[in-house]
Amino acid sequence: MEAAAQPQPGALSWRLSSHPITLLTFLGFRISSVLIYFLGLWIIQSMIMIFIITILLLACDFYYLKNIAGRRLVGLRWWNEVDPSTGDSQWVFESLEPGTREINSTDSRFFWLALYIQPLWWILMAILAIIRLQFLWLPLVAIALALTIINTLAFSRCDKFSQAGNFAGGAFGSTNLATSLASNFVGRMFRS
Amino acid sequence: MSSARGQYRRASLEDDDLIDPDDADLNDFDDPLAPESSRQPLTNTIASGASASGRLDEGYLTSRIPGDDRRAPQNTIDETVWETLRRDLLAVWAKLKEVLYPRYLFGGTMFDSEGGLRGAYSNIRGAGLTGTREELTGLASRVMDAEALLQSNMSPGLRDWDLWGPLIFCLLLSVLLSFTARSDQRDAVFSGVFATIWLGEAIVTLQIKLLGGNISFAQSICIIGYTLFPLVIAALLSALKLHWIARIPVYVVLIAWSIAAGVSILGGSGVVKNRVAIAVYPLFVFYLGLGCLCFIS
Repeated sequence: MEAAAQPQPGALSWRLSSHPITLLTFLGFRISSVLIYFLGLWIIQSMIMIFIITILLLACDFYYLKNIAGRRLVGLRWWNEVDPSTGDSQWVFESLEPGTREINSTDSRFFWLALYIQPLWWILMAILAIIRLQFLWLPLVAIALALTIINTLAFSRCDKFSQAGNFAGGAFGSTNLATSLASNFVGRMFRS
Repeated sequence: MSSARGQYRRASLEDDDLIDPDDADLNDFDDPLAPESSRQPLTNTIASGASASGRLDEGYLTSRIPGDDRRAPQNTIDETVWETLRRDLLAVWAKLKEVLYPRYLFGGTMFDSEGGLRGAYSNIRGAGLTGTREELTGLASRVMDAEALLQSNMSPGLRDWDLWGPLIFCLLLSVLLSFTARSDQRDAVFSGVFATIWLGEAIVTLQIKLLGGNISFAQSICIIGYTLFPLVIAALLSALKLHWIARIPVYVVLIAWSIAAGVSILGGSGVVKNRVAIAVYPLFVFYLGLGCLCFIS
């Protein structure tokens, strides 16, 4: 029965994940923040409670995606650094050294789908709030949109840089110079 | 003209990390924001790989290339979840410690140099609000005297910012202040305080940026958010219905504490010397306004 029901590799089933707990926690944060906002409006009749719970869930989701889920599921990480002498901020991208660990295709499909769908959900919520004339909720939706879109943009850019770095490493073989180059581009920094 | 150009070319060869040559085409510039950013590293790699390797090694050694100049561990991709959480919690705690004990006002050479800093601080605690402001201005300019010292000493904990402190303290303040409000005004008080705090932080930050402080927007918001901690205590006392006479001295001390922490930490932000009072004044108004909100609630 197991063999027959086994989905093919890369299918969207959490059983195929190599980090099931990370994946489920990640999806839990993502879904619950939207769900609490959406359902809380009708179930809990207290604006303050929903506001606090939603914003804490959003913060947890942002942190978890950026620092834990990103590197465990797809091996990518980004952060922002400030140069103390000038006050300029820099984006730093880091990704898995090629060949050290295999990225599970189920994990990465779940990850990228959730990453790109979440802003769409919040845009829908923003439209709903405008239609129902609940302008007091718009700041919360704006915060949610900002957090999710920042993460989406940063991770997609991080992915581009990591792919470029991997390609360069492959093209130059294993000479010393080329490997150092490749590892440099793996975590590439630039001013924004 | 030609000799000048020759000099320029020599200079650009010696220091080609800093100056882009005139005759470079678009692919030579390092502009990752351009639409072709995804293939930018590739063209760079191929071009520099084909040229002399000396240039490459130089570039590899400068700290402009990441991986060399990070305070974070070299490889953070494969660390455990616990390590990540622990590092970030420690970072939050380090920032909170800066607020709990504004060390640039108390400790080290600053204390010896002026001799009266601790006295000034106790004056702030004792004096009324007008006195506080004058004392603060004096104190701030004294902080700026040691600007170079502060800048080299700016604690690494404050260099990398996070928004946990601002978020948590802002939520706590809003909730605590809305406890004592009438039940039909609770929502309005909550959202009002919440919006006021973020707007206030943004305005104070904008002021510092416009005055030429070399601090990033998020960093400043982070610092101001963490310095709200004493005001959270004030809001807690209000929620516990402290008597209004007892509130006056306690709240003055708490506001002074917030300001001392803010000045102490922002002192390293490099705001120009003779404009420190202007830079700190909105911060003072911001804290005072929140303190008054705590007082009347």
